[in-house]
Amino acid sequence: MSAAPGVGTAKRAGEIRLQGLVKSFRGPHGPIEAVRGVEVEIAIGETVALLGPNGAGKSTTIDMLLGLLEPDAGGVSVFGRSASDAVAAGAVGAMLQTGSLIRDLTVRELVSMMAALYPEPLAVEQVLELTGTSEFASQRTQKLSGGQTQRVRAAVALVSNPELLVLDEPTVALDVEGRNAFWRVMREFAARGKTILFATHYLEEADEYADRIVLMAQGRVVADGPATAIKAVVGGRSIRTTLPGVEDAVLAALPGVNAVERHGDSVRLTCTDSDRALRALLAAQPDARDVEVGGADLEDAFVALTSPATGVSA
Amino acid sequence: MNATYLRTEVRRTLRAPRYFIFVIGMPVGLFLLFSSLYGSGTQDGVGAKAWLMVSMSVFGAMGAAVSIGGRIAGERQAGWTRQLRLTPMPGRMYVASKAVTALAVAVPALVLVYAVGAVVEGVRLPAARWAEAAGWSLLALAPFVAMGIWLGHRLTVDVLGPLSGALFTALGILGGVWFPISQLPSAMQELAKSLPSYWLAQAGREPLAGSWIGWHGVAVLAVWTAVFAILGARAYQRDTARA
Repeated sequence: MSAAPGVGTAKRAGEIRLQGLVKSFRGPHGPIEAVRGVEVEIAIGETVALLGPNGAGKSTTIDMLLGLLEPDAGGVSVFGRSASDAVAAGAVGAMLQTGSLIRDLTVRELVSMMAALYPEPLAVEQVLELTGTSEFASQRTQKLSGGQTQRVRAAVALVSNPELLVLDEPTVALDVEGRNAFWRVMREFAARGKTILFATHYLEEADEYADRIVLMAQGRVVADGPATAIKAVVGGRSIRTTLPGVEDAVLAALPGVNAVERHGDSVRLTCTDSDRALRALLAAQPDARDVEVGGADLEDAFVALTSPATGVSA
Repeated sequence: MNATYLRTEVRRTLRAPRYFIFVIGMPVGLFLLFSSLYGSGTQDGVGAKAWLMVSMSVFGAMGAAVSIGGRIAGERQAGWTRQLRLTPMPGRMYVASKAVTALAVAVPALVLVYAVGAVVEGVRLPAARWAEAAGWSLLALAPFVAMGIWLGHRLTVDVLGPLSGALFTALGILGGVWFPISQLPSAMQELAKSLPSYWLAQAGREPLAGSWIGWHGVAVLAVWTAVFAILGARAYQRDTARA
């Protein structure tokens, strides 16, 4: 992929490169292939969402990007260096998925300690200000609320002034307000020309905050592009109907239907071909009432692309 | 080693409530108790109070050193170790900082028990002997620091808590930290002399009479340190996965 002519910000593609990443783990029933050939390139200054359901391989991919996990095959290049060299140079900041703070320190002491480990950190007070942690900077870390903890974790990730910021499901513990506040901080950070990769399973979050979405399912990249492009890949629409007493499997077997979601008597069929599906539905299920055909939103794209029923060669 | 990081680590450890209970409170309390029970007369050619004082001080210092394992396990479980791996600080610096922290927080345990000995129990020694007892005690903590680091990278907090308590008590009893091994059957005495806890206790006691543990003792401590350090290094390297 190359920057289109006439685009103002010339972003260099491939500054961060994940090439053919493969990783499996030993499981109780044989090896679990967590990541099966992931290829992603990220340009400097891009904000990219790694979107996928639990078990899609997002965290494993991130661990390999960060050099915390050695890939079975494939390679990682971060600004032309190996992952561990980039980390050693202090170029990478991260908020990992599992992470609480260490106890018995104040917020300011903790952030200062982390700042001391980097060659060119931001000023601690500036980071506390940016992340909205100033007002409780003198509190001990074990006394913070979940939302406050998450903000401190953001401060820890940002204090090194990293070129690449990696966020693994950063807003899971936050309410809507906290989520918005979090992304305000990250947007400001991105505006300094920083590269951000974040994993999420919130579709709205990916849609709203990322320049680009990399959709993962079952250890593979199933789509990569702007939100609109992902919708185009699916071309999907969904059919809603009220239909009691019919097995989901019967509906899933209709031509053009890709996934079935049921809430009581209300059914939603995610379709690869809604026209065929609609004809088949009405012919086979004369009891179907309140039929509506809707355009695809990201939610539909998500269901269609990551459904195990679909071929993942998007 | 990063000074700010190290200073913060030490400060953090000293603030933990468990530290005061187990590393400071217990040795001081036990010293006062034992001293009132067995404090008269002499042991191994030195005053019994001085002997008990040094024994309880190394007991506390041993607690401080081994407790580093629980802290490491806790940090792993919290995902903090992985966070630190994303800093430019090399892994060996992380481990070295933990070791230095363990020794640094062992110092107050020694000093406080000595102070209680001098002030409350009236133990009198030449200044050089106090310093030698403390210095040798710290050196002889090396195997326990390495053991703490190893176990901390191998086990979870839930397992490590009771296990290190049991291990610590067993090493204390079998190694004659609590009472002289001359009270034990001879086979047990031989066993004691192969344990690091025996040589730790002796490292503190010998200077009281102006002596030292000798090369044999140093060798036993060095072997234990090397074994735990190798196990610890391997555990650390394997320990990158998400907890």
